[in-house]
Amino acid sequence: MPVPKRRMSRSNTRARRSQWKAAPITLVKSIENGKTVYSLPHRAKLVEDSSGNALFMEYKGRKVADA
Amino acid sequence: MPTPTKGPRLGGGPAHERMLLNNMARSLFINKSITTTETKAKRLRPIAERLVTFAKRGDLHSRRRVMQSITDRNVVHELFVNIAPLVAERQGGYTRITKLGFRKGDNAPMAVVELVLDPVQAKKMNKKPKLENAVKAAPKAAAVVEEAVAETPVEEVAVETAAPEAVVEAPAEAPVAEASATEVVAEAPAAEEAPAQDAATEEAPASEEESK
Repeated sequence: MPVPKRRMSRSNTRARRSQWKAAPITLVKSIENGKTVYSLPHRAKLVEDSSGNALFMEYKGRKVADA
Repeated sequence: MPTPTKGPRLGGGPAHERMLLNNMARSLFINKSITTTETKAKRLRPIAERLVTFAKRGDLHSRRRVMQSITDRNVVHELFVNIAPLVAERQGGYTRITKLGFRKGDNAPMAVVELVLDPVQAKKMNKKPKLENAVKAAPKAAAVVEEAVAETPVEEVAVETAAPEAVVEAPAEAPVAEASATEVVAEAPAAEEAPAQDAATEEAPASEEESK
Protein backbone atom coordinates (compact mmCIF):
# COMPACT_ATOMS: atom_id res chain seq x y z
CA MET A 1 0.00 0.00 0.00
CA PRO A 2 1.50 3.36 -1.06
CA VAL A 3 2.30 5.75 1.74
CA PRO A 4 3.26 9.44 1.38
CA LYS A 5 7.01 9.95 1.82
CA ARG A 6 6.74 13.31 3.53
CA ARG A 7 4.23 15.09 5.66
CA MET A 8 2.24 17.62 3.62
CA SER A 9 2.65 21.12 4.95
CA ARG A 10 -0.20 23.08 6.45
CA SER A 11 0.37 25.72 3.78
CA ASN A 12 0.04 23.29 0.88
CA THR A 13 -3.05 21.70 2.36
CA ARG A 14 -4.74 25.04 2.78
CA ALA A 15 -3.65 26.25 -0.65
CA ARG A 16 -5.28 23.17 -2.21
CA ARG A 17 -8.47 23.56 -0.24
CA SER A 18 -8.78 27.21 -1.19
CA GLN A 19 -9.02 26.31 -4.89
CA TRP A 20 -12.43 24.68 -4.43
CA LYS A 21 -14.87 27.28 -5.75
CA ALA A 22 -18.45 27.31 -6.85
CA ALA A 23 -19.12 28.38 -10.44
CA PRO A 24 -22.09 30.60 -11.23
CA ILE A 25 -24.92 28.75 -12.99
CA THR A 26 -26.46 29.97 -16.23
CA LEU A 27 -29.89 31.44 -15.71
CA VAL A 28 -32.48 32.95 -18.00
CA LYS A 29 -33.95 36.28 -16.98
CA SER A 30 -37.58 36.85 -17.79
CA ILE A 31 -40.27 39.23 -16.61
CA GLU A 32 -43.61 37.71 -15.59
CA ASN A 33 -46.42 39.91 -14.33
CA GLY A 34 -43.98 42.68 -13.60
CA LYS A 35 -41.66 40.47 -11.56
CA THR A 36 -38.19 39.58 -12.73
CA VAL A 37 -37.78 35.80 -12.63
CA TYR A 38 -34.56 33.86 -13.06
CA SER A 39 -34.94 30.27 -14.25
CA LEU A 40 -32.92 27.43 -15.73
CA PRO A 41 -32.84 27.36 -19.53
CA HIS A 42 -34.68 24.63 -21.48
CA ARG A 43 -36.53 23.33 -18.46
CA ALA A 44 -40.24 22.95 -17.80
CA LYS A 45 -41.74 25.36 -15.30
CA LEU A 46 -44.23 24.69 -12.56
CA VAL A 47 -47.54 26.46 -13.04
CA GLU A 48 -49.27 27.54 -9.83
CA ASP A 49 -52.66 29.03 -9.16
CA SER A 50 -53.15 32.30 -7.31
CA SER A 51 -52.90 30.70 -3.88
CA GLY A 52 -49.60 28.96 -4.69
CA ASN A 53 -50.88 25.42 -5.25
CA ALA A 54 -48.92 23.52 -7.87
CA LEU A 55 -51.03 22.68 -10.92
CA PHE A 56 -48.79 21.17 -13.62
CA MET A 57 -45.47 21.45 -15.41
CA GLU A 58 -45.50 23.56 -18.52
CA TYR A 59 -42.97 24.12 -21.29
CA LYS A 60 -43.46 26.42 -24.29
CA GLY A 61 -47.18 26.71 -23.66
CA ARG A 62 -47.64 22.93 -23.55
CA LYS A 63 -48.63 20.93 -20.51
CA VAL A 64 -45.82 18.44 -20.00
CA ALA A 65 -46.45 16.61 -16.73
CA ASP A 66 -48.50 16.70 -13.57
CA ALA A 67 -47.06 18.45 -10.57
CA MET B 1 -28.95 3.70 -37.56
CA PRO B 2 -28.68 5.04 -34.04
CA THR B 3 -25.25 6.23 -33.08
CA PRO B 4 -23.52 3.76 -30.74
CA THR B 5 -23.36 5.09 -27.21
CA LYS B 6 -20.08 5.98 -25.62
CA GLY B 7 -19.20 5.38 -22.02
CA PRO B 8 -20.54 2.81 -19.59
CA ARG B 9 -23.77 0.93 -20.18
CA LEU B 10 -26.88 1.64 -18.19
CA GLY B 11 -27.72 -0.91 -15.53
CA GLY B 12 -25.33 -3.77 -14.88
CA GLY B 13 -24.04 -4.45 -18.39
CA PRO B 14 -24.85 -4.48 -22.09
CA ALA B 15 -27.58 -7.09 -21.79
CA HIS B 16 -29.10 -5.31 -18.82
CA GLU B 17 -29.14 -2.04 -20.75
CA ARG B 18 -30.82 -3.66 -23.75
CA MET B 19 -33.55 -5.16 -21.60
CA LEU B 20 -33.95 -1.97 -19.62
CA LEU B 21 -34.38 0.21 -22.69
CA ASN B 22 -36.69 -2.28 -24.37
CA ASN B 23 -38.88 -2.31 -21.31
CA MET B 24 -38.86 1.48 -21.25
CA ALA B 25 -39.92 1.51 -24.90
CA ARG B 26 -42.72 -0.88 -23.99
CA SER B 27 -43.90 1.42 -21.22
CA LEU B 28 -43.69 4.37 -23.58
CA PHE B 29 -45.95 2.67 -26.14
CA ILE B 30 -48.42 1.71 -23.43
CA ASN B 31 -48.57 5.06 -21.63
CA LYS B 32 -47.56 7.41 -24.51
CA SER B 33 -45.53 9.41 -21.98
CA ILE B 34 -43.05 8.36 -19.31
CA THR B 35 -40.90 10.21 -16.80
CA THR B 36 -37.28 9.09 -16.38
CA THR B 37 -33.85 10.58 -15.90
CA GLU B 38 -32.40 12.65 -18.69
CA THR B 39 -29.70 10.08 -19.44
CA LYS B 40 -32.16 7.23 -19.86
CA ALA B 41 -34.47 9.43 -21.90
CA LYS B 42 -31.70 10.26 -24.33
CA ARG B 43 -30.71 6.59 -24.63
CA LEU B 44 -34.30 5.54 -25.12
CA ARG B 45 -35.09 7.95 -27.92
CA PRO B 46 -33.24 6.24 -30.83
CA ILE B 47 -34.47 2.79 -29.79
CA ALA B 48 -38.11 3.81 -29.49
CA GLU B 49 -38.05 5.73 -32.76
CA ARG B 50 -36.53 2.76 -34.57
CA LEU B 51 -39.41 0.60 -33.35
CA VAL B 52 -41.89 3.19 -34.55
CA THR B 53 -40.21 3.14 -37.95
CA PHE B 54 -40.73 -0.62 -38.09
CA ALA B 55 -44.34 -0.11 -37.10
CA LYS B 56 -44.86 2.38 -39.91
CA ARG B 57 -43.60 -0.19 -42.41
CA GLY B 58 -46.20 -2.49 -40.95
CA ASP B 59 -45.43 -5.82 -42.64
CA LEU B 60 -44.99 -9.19 -40.98
CA HIS B 61 -41.21 -9.11 -41.10
CA SER B 62 -41.01 -5.76 -39.36
CA ARG B 63 -43.51 -6.97 -36.80
CA ARG B 64 -41.25 -9.93 -36.05
CA ARG B 65 -38.26 -7.56 -35.77
CA VAL B 66 -40.16 -5.54 -33.16
CA MET B 67 -41.22 -8.71 -31.37
CA GLN B 68 -37.54 -9.45 -30.83
CA SER B 69 -37.21 -6.47 -28.52
CA ILE B 70 -40.73 -6.03 -27.16
CA THR B 71 -41.97 -9.48 -26.27
CA ASP B 72 -45.50 -8.37 -25.55
CA ARG B 73 -47.97 -9.06 -28.36
CA ASN B 74 -50.56 -6.65 -27.06
CA VAL B 75 -48.10 -3.75 -26.97
CA VAL B 76 -46.78 -4.54 -30.45
CA HIS B 77 -50.35 -4.71 -31.71
CA GLU B 78 -51.05 -1.35 -30.09
CA LEU B 79 -47.92 0.08 -31.69
CA PHE B 80 -48.70 -1.21 -35.18
CA VAL B 81 -52.44 -0.57 -35.19
CA ASN B 82 -52.93 2.58 -33.12
CA ILE B 83 -49.67 4.48 -32.97
CA ALA B 84 -48.28 3.92 -36.46
CA PRO B 85 -51.19 5.58 -38.35
CA LEU B 86 -50.88 8.67 -36.14
CA VAL B 87 -47.26 9.21 -37.11
CA ALA B 88 -47.64 8.09 -40.72
CA GLU B 89 -47.16 11.62 -42.02
CA ARG B 90 -44.27 12.38 -39.68
CA GLN B 91 -40.77 11.97 -41.05
CA GLY B 92 -38.88 11.00 -37.93
CA GLY B 93 -38.85 12.71 -34.57
CA TYR B 94 -41.61 10.56 -33.08
CA THR B 95 -40.62 11.29 -29.50
CA ARG B 96 -40.25 14.48 -27.55
CA ILE B 97 -38.02 14.95 -24.50
CA THR B 98 -38.79 17.76 -22.09
CA LYS B 99 -36.51 18.43 -19.16
CA LEU B 100 -38.41 18.73 -15.93
CA GLY B 101 -36.31 19.31 -12.85
CA PHE B 102 -34.36 17.40 -10.26
CA ARG B 103 -35.54 14.33 -8.41
CA LYS B 104 -35.93 14.77 -4.71
CA GLY B 105 -34.04 11.70 -3.54
CA ASP B 106 -30.81 11.91 -5.50
CA ASN B 107 -31.08 15.24 -7.35
CA ALA B 108 -31.04 13.41 -10.70
CA PRO B 109 -32.19 15.55 -13.63
CA MET B 110 -35.54 14.22 -14.79
CA ALA B 111 -37.23 14.38 -18.17
CA VAL B 112 -40.48 13.42 -19.82
CA VAL B 113 -40.36 11.26 -22.94
CA GLU B 114 -43.57 11.34 -24.92
CA LEU B 115 -44.75 10.17 -28.29
CA VAL B 116 -45.55 13.02 -30.64
CA LEU B 117 -48.99 11.96 -31.78
CA ASP B 118 -50.32 15.36 -32.83
CA PRO B 119 -51.06 15.78 -36.54
CA VAL B 120 -48.09 17.18 -38.39
CA GLN B 121 -48.27 20.95 -38.49
CA ALA B 122 -47.75 22.30 -41.97
CA LYS B 123 -44.31 23.79 -41.62
CA LYS B 124 -44.31 24.57 -45.34
CA MET B 125 -46.03 27.84 -44.54
CA ASN B 126 -43.02 28.80 -42.51
CA LYS B 127 -40.53 27.43 -44.99
CA LYS B 128 -41.86 29.23 -48.05
CA PRO B 129 -41.63 32.74 -46.64
CA LYS B 130 -38.21 31.90 -45.33
CA LEU B 131 -37.11 30.85 -48.81
CA GLU B 132 -38.64 33.97 -50.30
CA ASN B 133 -36.96 36.04 -47.67
CA ALA B 134 -33.72 34.28 -48.40
CA VAL B 135 -34.10 34.95 -52.11
CA LYS B 136 -35.05 38.52 -51.43
CA ALA B 137 -32.39 38.97 -48.83
CA ALA B 138 -29.67 37.61 -51.08
CA PRO B 139 -29.97 40.30 -53.81
CA LYS B 140 -30.36 42.92 -51.11
CA ALA B 141 -27.22 41.71 -49.44
CA ALA B 142 -25.46 41.67 -52.78
CA ALA B 143 -26.70 45.18 -53.54
CA VAL B 144 -25.56 46.36 -50.13
CA VAL B 145 -22.18 44.81 -50.72
CA GLU B 146 -21.96 46.44 -54.11
CA GLU B 147 -22.91 49.77 -52.65
CA ALA B 148 -20.37 49.36 -49.94
CA VAL B 149 -17.75 48.44 -52.53
CA ALA B 150 -18.78 51.43 -54.63
CA GLU B 151 -18.62 53.75 -51.65
CA THR B 152 -15.35 52.64 -50.20
CA PRO B 153 -13.12 53.44 -53.21
CA VAL B 154 -14.57 56.93 -53.37
CA GLU B 155 -13.81 57.44 -49.72
CA GLU B 156 -10.35 56.02 -50.16
CA VAL B 157 -9.72 58.31 -53.12
CA ALA B 158 -11.02 61.25 -51.14
CA VAL B 159 -8.76 60.36 -48.24
CA GLU B 160 -5.81 59.91 -50.56
CA THR B 161 -6.42 63.22 -52.29
CA ALA B 162 -6.90 64.97 -48.98
CA ALA B 163 -3.82 63.42 -47.45
CA PRO B 164 -1.21 64.72 -49.93
CA GLU B 165 -2.66 68.20 -49.67
CA ALA B 166 -2.31 68.11 -45.94
CA VAL B 167 1.22 66.77 -46.32
CA VAL B 168 2.03 69.49 -48.83
CA GLU B 169 0.51 72.17 -46.69
CA ALA B 170 2.07 71.04 -43.45
CA PRO B 171 5.74 71.26 -44.53
CA ALA B 172 5.04 74.55 -46.29
CA GLU B 173 3.62 76.04 -43.14
CA ALA B 174 6.14 74.51 -40.77
CA PRO B 175 9.29 76.22 -42.14
CA VAL B 176 7.50 79.55 -42.17
CA ALA B 177 6.59 79.15 -38.54
CA GLU B 178 10.13 78.04 -37.70
CA ALA B 179 11.61 80.94 -39.64
CA SER B 180 9.38 83.44 -37.88
CA ALA B 181 10.27 81.88 -34.52
CA THR B 182 14.02 82.12 -35.26
CA GLU B 183 13.61 85.70 -36.37
CA VAL B 184 11.84 86.57 -33.15
CA VAL B 185 14.53 84.81 -31.11
CA ALA B 186 17.25 86.56 -33.08
CA GLU B 187 15.63 89.94 -32.62
CA ALA B 188 15.03 89.57 -28.91
CA PRO B 189 18.68 89.13 -27.79
CA ALA B 190 19.75 91.74 -30.30
CA ALA B 191 17.45 94.30 -28.76
CA GLU B 192 18.74 93.49 -25.28
CA GLU B 193 22.42 93.48 -26.27
CA ALA B 194 22.26 96.55 -28.45
CA PRO B 195 22.65 99.17 -25.75
CA ALA B 196 25.53 97.31 -24.01
CA GLN B 197 27.68 96.11 -26.94
CA ASP B 198 28.77 97.12 -30.46
CA ALA B 199 27.17 96.21 -33.76
CA ALA B 200 29.96 93.68 -34.42
CA THR B 201 29.00 91.61 -31.41
CA GLU B 202 25.40 91.72 -32.52
CA GLU B 203 26.27 90.25 -35.93
CA ALA B 204 28.29 87.41 -34.45
CA PRO B 205 25.44 85.54 -32.72
CA ALA B 206 23.28 86.09 -35.77
CA SER B 207 25.91 84.48 -38.01
CA GLU B 208 26.24 81.58 -35.59
CA GLU B 209 22.54 80.99 -35.72
CA GLU B 210 22.61 81.03 -39.50
CA SER B 211 25.39 78.47 -39.53
CA LYS B 212 23.44 76.27 -37.22
